[in-house]
Amino acid sequence: MKSSEGDTVPPQSLPEIGISQILGLVELLIGKEGAREDIYRLAGELSMELGETLTVIKAAEMLGLVHTPGGDVVVEAFGTKVIDASIPERKELLREKIELLPVFKKVREFLATEENHEVTREQVSEKLAELIPNEDAESSFSTLVNWGRYAELFGYNDDSQTFYLDTDEDRGE
Amino acid sequence: MTNPHLNQTEETIIEMKNVSKNFMLPQGQVTVLENISFKAVEGEFVAIVGPSGAGKSTLLRLMNGLLAPSVGNVLYQGKEQHGINFESAMVFQNFGLLPWLTVAQNIELGLEARTKDAALKKEKVNRYITKVGLDGYEEAYPRELSGGMKQRVGLARALAIEPSLLLMDEPFSSLDVLTSINLRNELLDIWSDRDNVVNTMIMVTHIIEEAIELADRIIILSNRPGKVVGDIKIDLPRPRQKRDKRFIEYVDRIFSLLA
Repeated sequence: MKSSEGDTVPPQSLPEIGISQILGLVELLIGKEGAREDIYRLAGELSMELGETLTVIKAAEMLGLVHTPGGDVVVEAFGTKVIDASIPERKELLREKIELLPVFKKVREFLATEENHEVTREQVSEKLAELIPNEDAESSFSTLVNWGRYAELFGYNDDSQTFYLDTDEDRGE
Repeated sequence: MTNPHLNQTEETIIEMKNVSKNFMLPQGQVTVLENISFKAVEGEFVAIVGPSGAGKSTLLRLMNGLLAPSVGNVLYQGKEQHGINFESAMVFQNFGLLPWLTVAQNIELGLEARTKDAALKKEKVNRYITKVGLDGYEEAYPRELSGGMKQRVGLARALAIEPSLLLMDEPFSSLDVLTSINLRNELLDIWSDRDNVVNTMIMVTHIIEEAIELADRIIILSNRPGKVVGDIKIDLPRPRQKRDKRFIEYVDRIFSLLA
């Protein structure tokens, strides 16, 4: 998909948060009145540091699952839709969000232009450092791999340290 | 969601009959479990709650046949159980994954003892990878995974052998609070999926709320030696909310039995 969005929105760093944590947050909030909670109270309830709580919320917000009016966190209609879906359907729904994130778009474009649709871990790390300067590229790297695998946007093989595009021809075994 | 499996057969899957377990230690014989009796029927989700040291993990290992009782009998579908029960599968607190194997290889491991048919193994691995939401992680190693994804691998490996009894030893205790919320919900989703062979689940936990949130029935064990001090049916529709008045009443009731 070619859109101008990825070019106008500067790539954000990726929080080092797993998909399960994000889904757990949304599930917890859905059980609350109005599917919302005060962020400070939420941190207390979870016995989590406020900074850590904010990082999970930010991750959920990047995927369009929640929004944060004032000091609250509220589940979006999309968040409810994801939680109501089956486990395989959740992946489909979240894939649509993850593939639109600028970092993922850039890495996919990069893979698409390379021969065999393969690049090394080093090349991807350099690309990340270019895209999100002044950030810890290593923590973004692990989220890139994990969310990318979850959404099946690309494959990563840690033995050969290569990323590859999971095209349909490759997938047929 | 009410229990999707109950009221089908009411057939007893596993029964502990006056089971005691002693271990010989250098300082002498120690009784870990004393005169334990209960049963789980087909389709039931049973939680076993007790403080650490109550012998909960030992109890699970008696159920899957890794350990034999010192006194009493373990009956599986009405027959006395000898040796390992190959119709049961176990999910572990620390995932029990082999670090040098990929996700797909770890899941396949449980099938090795059951079939030599490579195509069948592959099909089952893929099927349960999809069930637990691990598509895309096939070639990942455990070190690359978050705790939540590791436990999905542990669950897929157990489900892949299509056990009629799923045993879980503190399956959420190594996970952060949000991940454990997510995996508890996904476990209920998987359990309510009628395509799955596994109907009957027995989970050990030291967290009372977790047991009430998930189980149909809770067996409460006392400490050293573990004895059954309560057997309570949880009559609440799912999903269950911790702030619900009746939920809190169950917490209080179980807490007083343990105190």
